[in-house]
Amino acid sequence: MKVYLIALLACFSLHQASAQEASLSVTGEVTHPLQLTAAGLSKMKRTTVALKDRDGKEHKYTGVTIPEILDLAGVTTGKQLRGENLTKYMLVKCADGYEVLFSLAELDTSFTDRTAILADQLEGGPLPAGKGPFRLVVPGEKKPARSSFQVTEFIIRFAK
Amino acid sequence: MVLLLIACLAGTGSIWKQGPPRPYKVEYPSYFGNRINIPEDNPLTEEGVRLGRMLFYETALSSGNRISCASCHKQELAFTDGLQFSIGVDGTPTPRNSMSLANLLWVRNFFWDGRAEGLEKQAETPLTNPHEMGQALAISAQKLQQSPIYPALFRDAFGSNVITDNKIVKALSQFERTLISSNSTYDQYLRGEYQPTASELNGITLFFDPGGAGCGHCHGGPKTFSELFHNNGLDSIPEDAGRKAITGQEYDNGRFRVATLRNIALTAPYMHDGRFKTLEEVADHYSDHIQASATLSPFLENRQKLTMQEKKDLVAFLHLLTDSTFITDKRFSNPFK
Repeated sequence: MKVYLIALLACFSLHQASAQEASLSVTGEVTHPLQLTAAGLSKMKRTTVALKDRDGKEHKYTGVTIPEILDLAGVTTGKQLRGENLTKYMLVKCADGYEVLFSLAELDTSFTDRTAILADQLEGGPLPAGKGPFRLVVPGEKKPARSSFQVTEFIIRFAK
Repeated sequence: MVLLLIACLAGTGSIWKQGPPRPYKVEYPSYFGNRINIPEDNPLTEEGVRLGRMLFYETALSSGNRISCASCHKQELAFTDGLQFSIGVDGTPTPRNSMSLANLLWVRNFFWDGRAEGLEKQAETPLTNPHEMGQALAISAQKLQQSPIYPALFRDAFGSNVITDNKIVKALSQFERTLISSNSTYDQYLRGEYQPTASELNGITLFFDPGGAGCGHCHGGPKTFSELFHNNGLDSIPEDAGRKAITGQEYDNGRFRVATLRNIALTAPYMHDGRFKTLEEVADHYSDHIQASATLSPFLENRQKLTMQEKKDLVAFLHLLTDSTFITDKRFSNPFK
């Protein structure tokens, strides 16, 4: 019985180790490094934006605005985004190795009217396989190349 | 005791015999970009690279002294071995195809699954894996320490003739970072020194044009390499989980490195499992045989089929990526011959 229990526990720990929950980390020039899961994101203030995808049609994506996430991590946003902080950028990393970059000012509501979000829903449902669980959605760009799929990291750095 | 005696005779310490190592200048075209990777604690030096080259061809780094890095990474094949799977010291085939070593200066995460961050970490695996070179680095260090030539070479490169695990992988990494292939016929075309045929020109357009075959979407830019990992539709249920085995993420199932296409005509067979023997088979795969799955790269969904001529043109372009000077460059050849 004891042997069975040990074997069962061993299987459980192996399962725990191999199946990892997808998450987004926010690191670098932050005061509170973050590790956001789907559950954590769903509890934050939700925003819906429209994005014209590669199919040429507009689709509604729902998630959390990037400034909201950056605020939670203690990134310099809003009134703090001045002086040398304007040389900061956000490097977005995706599961497949794809990377794109934004200056912080490009994403900040005190500089721009557009609302970039980290989306976890498309038209009220989950994101399609290959694009989720988290997609960066950047409305107002002529092509969606920076609206990256399967985002895993936001890294905030100073340009040097 | 013997080791100690040898160490004493060789004169340990951190005194350079002929001054500190000289910086090694890597040269590459501006269109490769400068997003290169050289760790701060392992700058390239003439002495380090020279030592690394010797270690690359050194069979004493393997159990039984029969194979070296070069056994599976032969210069004439752009540092591959022409086999589907390589055979290590114990006769066991490796689980994946031997990768070409070209333009590693731009690579950040190594192996087909990207598990090793940096060449220094990468080097440890084939050296110590029981099915590859099969020898602990500490044993390799001991063997080299007893050699009549290596202590002095390590002193010249690292300031001390005490040979360590760390210095072995550092020197190897320095040499591998110098393996730059940038004089292919395609490079000559980019420099205005070669006029491609109509078929080759069409191949270039098909390769890079998103409205064509769109290969450049992942094999981007003149380097034909981006640090990406994709499921390229080889199987609907991948036998090899690829990157998923490293990250534990379901979305990485069947994902593998998007390999460089530099010298691709020399590096058959193709894919992580060497399943395709020819470039024509590869072109057929991407045109006609992409297998759908939950983790298939979205960029490979609903692709337009290529005509026979388009496939020929693409393959003609891929042959332009052969760099005959790279595979004959004496700086990269076996120094013991």
